[in-house]
Amino acid sequence: MSSKSRTRHFGLVAVLLLLAFALSACPAQPVAPVQPPSEAEPPSLVTITFVQEPDNLSPLYTTMWFSGILNDFWLLGLWNFNDNLEPTPQLAREIPSAANGGISEDGRTITIHLREDARWSDGTPVTAADFVFTYEMIMDERNAVISRHPYDQFVAGVEAAGDHTLVVTFHEPYAPWLSSIFTYVLPKHILEPVMKANGTLDGADWNRNPTVGVGPYVFKEWESGSHLLFERNPNHWQQPNIDRIFIRITPDDAAQVAAIKAGDTDIGVFISFSDVPELEALGTVNVVSTPSGFMEGWFFNFGEQAHPAIRDRNVRWALAHGFDRWQITQDLLLGLSEPPASPWDLSPYASPNIQPVPYDPERAAQLLDEAGWVMDADGVREKDGEKLILRYVTNMRRLRLDTQVVVQDMFRDLGVRFELINHPSDIFFASYAEGGVIATGQYDIAQWSSQPEAYPDPDTSRWTCREIPTPDNPAGSNWNFYCNPELDELFARQAVTVDMEARIALFEEIEKIIQEDMIWLGVWQDNDIWTVSKRLSNVRLSGADPFWNAANWTLE
Amino acid sequence: MTRYIIRRILQAIPLLFIISVILFALMMNMGDPLATLGGRQPPRGEDRLRLARQLGLDQPIYMQYIFWLVGNDWMRFDTTGDGVPNTYGTRRGILRGDWGTSLVTRRPVVEMIWQRLPNTLLLMGTAQVVIIVFSLAIGIYSALRQYSITDHVITTGAFIGYSMPIFWLALMLMYIFAVNFKKWGLPYFPTVGMYDPAVGRTFSQVVWHMALPVATLSVTAIAAYSRYIRASMLEVINQDYIRTARSKGLPERFILWRHALKNASLPLVTLIGLDLPLLLAGAVVTERIFAWPGMGRLFLDHVERADYPVLMGILMLVSIAVVVFQILTDIVYTYLDPRIRYS
Repeated sequence: MSSKSRTRHFGLVAVLLLLAFALSACPAQPVAPVQPPSEAEPPSLVTITFVQEPDNLSPLYTTMWFSGILNDFWLLGLWNFNDNLEPTPQLAREIPSAANGGISEDGRTITIHLREDARWSDGTPVTAADFVFTYEMIMDERNAVISRHPYDQFVAGVEAAGDHTLVVTFHEPYAPWLSSIFTYVLPKHILEPVMKANGTLDGADWNRNPTVGVGPYVFKEWESGSHLLFERNPNHWQQPNIDRIFIRITPDDAAQVAAIKAGDTDIGVFISFSDVPELEALGTVNVVSTPSGFMEGWFFNFGEQAHPAIRDRNVRWALAHGFDRWQITQDLLLGLSEPPASPWDLSPYASPNIQPVPYDPERAAQLLDEAGWVMDADGVREKDGEKLILRYVTNMRRLRLDTQVVVQDMFRDLGVRFELINHPSDIFFASYAEGGVIATGQYDIAQWSSQPEAYPDPDTSRWTCREIPTPDNPAGSNWNFYCNPELDELFARQAVTVDMEARIALFEEIEKIIQEDMIWLGVWQDNDIWTVSKRLSNVRLSGADPFWNAANWTLE
Repeated sequence: MTRYIIRRILQAIPLLFIISVILFALMMNMGDPLATLGGRQPPRGEDRLRLARQLGLDQPIYMQYIFWLVGNDWMRFDTTGDGVPNTYGTRRGILRGDWGTSLVTRRPVVEMIWQRLPNTLLLMGTAQVVIIVFSLAIGIYSALRQYSITDHVITTGAFIGYSMPIFWLALMLMYIFAVNFKKWGLPYFPTVGMYDPAVGRTFSQVVWHMALPVATLSVTAIAAYSRYIRASMLEVINQDYIRTARSKGLPERFILWRHALKNASLPLVTLIGLDLPLLLAGAVVTERIFAWPGMGRLFLDHVERADYPVLMGILMLVSIAVVVFQILTDIVYTYLDPRIRYS
C-alpha cells in the first residue's frame, strides 16, 4: 500500500508539473520577428539588466527610476536631457526661450511648438490635445496618481492653441519648468474612452500593457518578474539601428555581475563600486559613471528630539572635521567618487567657492572642547552629566552599514560614540503621519542619498521653514527641522529666477549657509555606475535621462 | 471517513480566519508602503497625504481589515480631501472573491499571483521530483551498506550538502558552470533568466535555464531527505518480517521494494506532505539569484515595499494549501497503514 501512496504522491507532483508547464507555456509565443533589416539576418537585440522591476509603466502611477528611464524608449516628453545635461528637443520642435518667443516677458507663460511629424505608434498624430488631456488626468481627483508636482502648486493652466501649439501658464515665473513639465504625454485617443468607461485610469490596462506609445521603440510585452520587451516603432520619425530592447529583471547584484562577465547582458546598472575594478579588467565592457544628482550626505537634526550636542553648531563642525570622508571614498568606494561640497555638486549650480570641509581631527577636538564637551575617564566626552553618544541612523544599504562601522572607529579617539541604527527603507522613509524614524526626528545624524526633486534642476524645498513636519503639516519634507528665514528667502528667490547666471549666484549664497550652519555634510557623490558591452557603440548615458539617444545606438 | 473530512474542513474555517487576523495585524506593523513608492526618494509630502486617502491607508487598522475581508462598496469615502464622503468604494473583499489590488503596481493580486505560480510550480516541482528520486536512491543504497566506506562517504557528503548556505551554493554553481565554463570553452549553462530572449521561450530553453536553480534547490534537500530514508530503512530491514521473507527465499530485490520500502516510506510521506504546500511559496533565495520569476521573489519584492494586499494574498494561499495538504496527508495515512482509522 505504501507504494500506492508513493505513486499517488508522484502522480500529484507530476500533475502539478504538467500544469505548471502548460500554464507557463501559455504566453509562449517566441515573438515574431519585426521587419528584420534583411531576410537573412535575425533581428538585432540588446539586453539590459535591471536589479529592480518597474512597478508600473504609466508615469502617472510611478516615479520609480527604473520605470522612468524606460520612457526614452517608448514614451517621450517635450524634451530630454543629454549626457551634458542640456535639453534636447523631442516632441517639441525647439526649446522655448526668451529669444525665440517661447518665454513671455513676465516669465509666466511658456509657449511650445510641437513637431508636426510626431505620431503615436498606431499612426495617430500627437497633438496639443494629448498634452491638455495629460494635465487633466494628473489633476483629476478620481486618479490616485503618484505625483501632481508641479501642476498642483505652480501651473495655472495648460491650453492648446491649435493642433501643434501648447501654452503653459504659471502663477509666478517658475524656474524649474524645463525639467518638470510634460516629461511624458498620454495618448488621449486610447485613454479617454477608458476614463469615460471606468471613471478612473487607476486600473487601466495601458498602465501595464501600453501597446501605444511615442518613441523610437514600442512596448511589446512584459512578463512579471522576468522581462520587458520593446521593438522598433515603424511610425517614429527616426528609425533606430537596433530592432529590439530586452530588459531582464535580475534582482541579485552578484548574479548581475556574473551575467555581465558571461556576456549574457549588454548593459548593466547599479553596479557596486567594489565590483568596478574586476569589471574593468574584463575587457569586454566599458564601465561608465554618470552623475545622477544623488549625493550621499549626513543630515543633522535641528529638532527638539535631537541630542543637545547636535544642536550646537560647533559640535556639528567638529563632526565634519573629524569625519575623514576621503577614507570612505578611497577605501569603500575605491577612489571612484569624491566627497561633495554641496548637495548640488557636479552641477552648474555648484559654486567653485565652496569646498568640502577638510579632515582636521585636531580642530575637531578643539571645537568639542570649546563647546564644553570634555573628555571623560571612560574615553567618551561629557557635558552636564550627558555623554556624547549620537544616534547615527540609516537604511540597510551595504555601503552605508560599512560606513557606519568605519565612522564609529574613526571617532573613537575624539571621544565621540555612535549608536548605529538601521531600518529598512519602508520604515526609514516612512512619513510623519506613519511615525517615520527620520520624519519624526528620532535621530541625531541620518545618512541617505538625496537629489533635487526635479533633477537636473536644482530646486528643492527640503530646508525651508514651512516644510517642517508638524501634526498640522504632516506632509513637510524638511526632516532636518531646520528653520532660517534668510535661507527661505533665497530659496524663494531662486525658484522664480529664470535667468541662469542670476540663479547660480543665488545658489552660491544658499550653499554658503548650508555649510556654515552645517545642515548637511556631503559624504560621497552617489553616481550611477553602468557597464556597457563593447559590442555597442554610441551609447551616451546621461545622468538625467540615461537612454536619451537610444535611437542612435549601434550594435556590431 | 466523509464525516471526518467534512469535520476537518469546518475546523479549518475558524483557523484560517484567525490566521488572517494575525497576519493582517503583523502586516500593518511593517512600514509605510508609500515610503518606497517614489523609488530612490520618498514621494513629496502633499502627494503622500493624498495617496493615503485615495488608497484607504488613512483608515484605522480594523477598518482596513474589514475592507480586505468584506470589501468597502457599502460605504462612502472622501476622495476629494474636503472631509465630505462622496463616493462609494469599489472593493468587494476576499470573502466575495476579491483578493485586492497591489498598492505598488495597482494590479489585482490574483492576476499577479497567477502569473508567477506556474513558474514556481515548474521549478519547485521539478526540484521535488529530483530530490525524491535521488534521496531514495542514496538513502536506500547507504542503508543497505551501513558502515561501509561508501556509507561513510555518503554520510559525510550529506552533512556537507546540508550545511551549504543556499546563496553561496547558487553563486558558486553560477560562477563555475556559467561564467568559467564559458570562459574555458566548455559547454556552459546560462546565468540568469528562464530563456534566451534571442531564441524565445521553448521547452529546451526552459529546461536548460532550470538546471542550475534545480541543482541548487536539490543539494540541501537531498542531503536531508536521504538521511531520513536511510534511518527508516535501517529500522525496517532489521525487523522480523524481513528475515521471514528472506527465509522464504524471496528474491532480495522483491524484499527490498515490496516489503522494506513500503513500510519505510511512512515518515517520508509525512515529510512530503508538509513540504508540498510550501512549494507554492517558492524559493526566495534561489529565485532571486537566478532571476527566476516565481512566487518567492514576488513575496520578497513586496515585503520590502510593505505591499500588504499582495503579501496577504500569498500568505493566505499558502495557509489554505497547508490546511488542504494536512487533510490529504491524513487521508493518505489510512491507505498506507490500515491500523490508522478516523471515526
